[in-house]
Amino acid sequence: MHIGPVVRAMNHNRTRVTLIILEIAITLAIVTNCVNVILAERAKMATRSGFEDTGIVRLHTRPFVPEFQDEAFIRTTVDADLQAIEGVPGVEAVANTSFQLWEGGGSSTEIRPAGSSSAPVRTQIYYGSQNITQSLGATVSEGRPFAEGEHGSGSGEESASVVIISRALAEALFPGQPAAGRSIEFVTGTGEATGDPYAIVGVMERFFNPFGMPGADPDPFEERGLFYPQRAGSYAQGLRYLIRVSDPGDMAAIITEIERRIVEVNPGRVVEFEPVSEKKARWFATSSLMVTTMTFIIAMLVIISALGLIGITALSVAERTRQIGTRRALGATRADILRHFLIENAIITAAGLALGIVATYALNVFLVANLVDAKMPPMLILFGIALLLLNAIVATLPPAFRAMGISPAVATKSI
Amino acid sequence: MFFYHVRIALKSLRRNPVLSSLLIGGIAVGIGISTAFVTLRHMYVQDPIPGGSDRVFYVRLDSWGGQQSYMSDDPESLPDQVTYADARALLESPIPRRQTPTFVGAAFLHPATAATRPWQAEIRLTFNDLFDIFRMPFAYGGPWTEDADARAERVAVIDHDTNQKLFGGENSVGRTIRLEDAEFRVVGVLAPWRPPLRYFEMNRGATGKPEEVYLPFNLVEPMQIATRGNANNWKPIQPYSFEAMLASERVWLQYWVELAAPGDVDAYGDWIASYVEGQRSLGRFEQTTRYRLSTVPQLIEEFGLMPAGVRAMSIVALLFLLVCSLNLIGILLGKFLARASEVSVRRALGASRAQVFWQHLIECELIGLIGGGAGLLLSLGVLAVIRRHMRNGEALRLDSEMLLFAAVLSLVAGLIAGLYPAWRACRIAPAMQLKVQ
Repeated sequence: MHIGPVVRAMNHNRTRVTLIILEIAITLAIVTNCVNVILAERAKMATRSGFEDTGIVRLHTRPFVPEFQDEAFIRTTVDADLQAIEGVPGVEAVANTSFQLWEGGGSSTEIRPAGSSSAPVRTQIYYGSQNITQSLGATVSEGRPFAEGEHGSGSGEESASVVIISRALAEALFPGQPAAGRSIEFVTGTGEATGDPYAIVGVMERFFNPFGMPGADPDPFEERGLFYPQRAGSYAQGLRYLIRVSDPGDMAAIITEIERRIVEVNPGRVVEFEPVSEKKARWFATSSLMVTTMTFIIAMLVIISALGLIGITALSVAERTRQIGTRRALGATRADILRHFLIENAIITAAGLALGIVATYALNVFLVANLVDAKMPPMLILFGIALLLLNAIVATLPPAFRAMGISPAVATKSI
Repeated sequence: MFFYHVRIALKSLRRNPVLSSLLIGGIAVGIGISTAFVTLRHMYVQDPIPGGSDRVFYVRLDSWGGQQSYMSDDPESLPDQVTYADARALLESPIPRRQTPTFVGAAFLHPATAATRPWQAEIRLTFNDLFDIFRMPFAYGGPWTEDADARAERVAVIDHDTNQKLFGGENSVGRTIRLEDAEFRVVGVLAPWRPPLRYFEMNRGATGKPEEVYLPFNLVEPMQIATRGNANNWKPIQPYSFEAMLASERVWLQYWVELAAPGDVDAYGDWIASYVEGQRSLGRFEQTTRYRLSTVPQLIEEFGLMPAGVRAMSIVALLFLLVCSLNLIGILLGKFLARASEVSVRRALGASRAQVFWQHLIECELIGLIGGGAGLLLSLGVLAVIRRHMRNGEALRLDSEMLLFAAVLSLVAGLIAGLYPAWRACRIAPAMQLKVQ
């Protein structure tokens, strides 16, 4: 009913109307996209590795004395190290292993069920001493962890031909069947089997370790992982361990004690500790930077756009004080005036939101081209619309009520 | 007249401190965020080698053999590095002004005093040209001589941090350092130098620091120094020995050239093509004769070294500044029209529309500049937050280019916010307002 005059009035103030529409549209685009990025990055950061990341610390010892060039010496040192670390109160389990969590990269190989000619499956592969699954806090849901002696003996005996694999790898090799007790063989680049078959003694429920670098697909092997029993180290690569503590709060004290005992075993090396939680934080550094930034931007945006909207609607009322007085003098009721402003604001907000939806998707297309995996869910747009509607209502109601209160006398005062 | 406008503008800003600080704060937040994130992006796109980015090239040859291309899923791919034999052959080319093969190794550095424990240092083997190709700054001394390169002398260049640790930061040229069980004479100490990316070798931990110690490349044979970086074979080395490795098809060296002029690239390309053609008759390069010369910016692009999200964040930050400016339009309109009577008096007293327009626009630009200044301070805080999140954060700094950018951005923000309000202010008719008085 009152649409006609409202539209004509708006047509009179095209710049102001365009301005508000633009403000609303861009704000909607930025807010929804920021929230979307936050949700996507937080989902990434919540990725569980299947290991008790917070309680694990990596220990890397780099020898600089020549006796470490002897392989037998390395084995005895590894045994002595393992024993020394296990004896530290608060240490749950320790393993000598080439596995490094949340590092990006690692080693990989191709395997298939022993004796079969099926297509080889690519998997991450690492050596680990007897307690490797315990030191990771991994759940072995089928079969068992490595047993005593399987990682070879101190006198240089070979390690047992057994492996522990992840559930995802088990599924790829033996779909729908139990894997523990079956055997696998390693495959060369030309498709021939190498060496003896290995028996699967255990299956880990989960195995996530980012293999691709940040930005690339972090999980090209889809949680496929394999451990074989071995103790190892070298002069060039050093001796590496993963240690899990029972209470992550005691980590610092435990690290000090481990360092003391390790240096006691052999002082001819440099000792480096790195809690896995720190490595995980570094792995997700860009993600957490994005979450912090986007949160700050949203907060500032809501405040600033509310201020801007209040400013401009207050002005639009102030500018039209005399017109409103005239309309009131000519018989318009207070309700008519209020309705005029509410309808006007509804039209402007609706136009802004409509344009905003287009802008949201346009910005999203750009962001998806520059980010990984942050497609805009429609629910989020609804949330953004609701937020901005609330913003618009809060910002425009006070001026509209002020307009309603303008007395007809204003119209006559200055003429 | 300009200073008169500025004076009036300052007066107007002082009249309503709350409103003014709101306006300045709005610009400051926008400038603070956008400057910080544009600076972050700038770190990856800035000119990596001032004055040389278009003349410094990374050389790759398709020495890969066997049945597959280097990356089995990409037939266009070339090996990331070159073989030892190819590096030696490339050194024969007279065309490049400077050139060097290079790789990184590791060795224990033993301090002279027992007070400091030895530590494993990253060492880079290279010809002396590397220091000039990458414009590495020296605090003391300089690169070793051609002679030292030719005779594989035991000389070293150490970086700033290593000099601090070993010699307490004093001029250590002429002193000796001990790597494993060999002694080296220090000929040069680098000034603090932290490029955003490790330009020499970007296919390996690109955001890390440059290496700590630099030794002549020709030490590789007498000292049998192995690479610590990536190395790839398509043919097994059997039986393995260091000499067999050097003679093998293993790719493990980076090769850099600096040409005298960008135009020499064709001549140099022809030289490489003829070398590859010659090798073909010896049974190498059996697949293709392709080679590639890439500049540092091309490598940054090819290896995707700018983290996902950096460009996105810089665009979102700029859009945020745009919204800040747009929102200030409404507030400025209110401010200017509230003193419509003052304007109409000035108009009635003879001020032209243009003068009124400039007066108000200058006020807006002043807000932009003051806000920009505050925003720069704010961006230092934002940069400190970003620095904590990036491994190469210490290379992140506001340089003169970024300061200029922030200043221009402030003026643009002031213009966006102020153009329409200033225009409206200058349209105020003198008569109408006088009548109301």
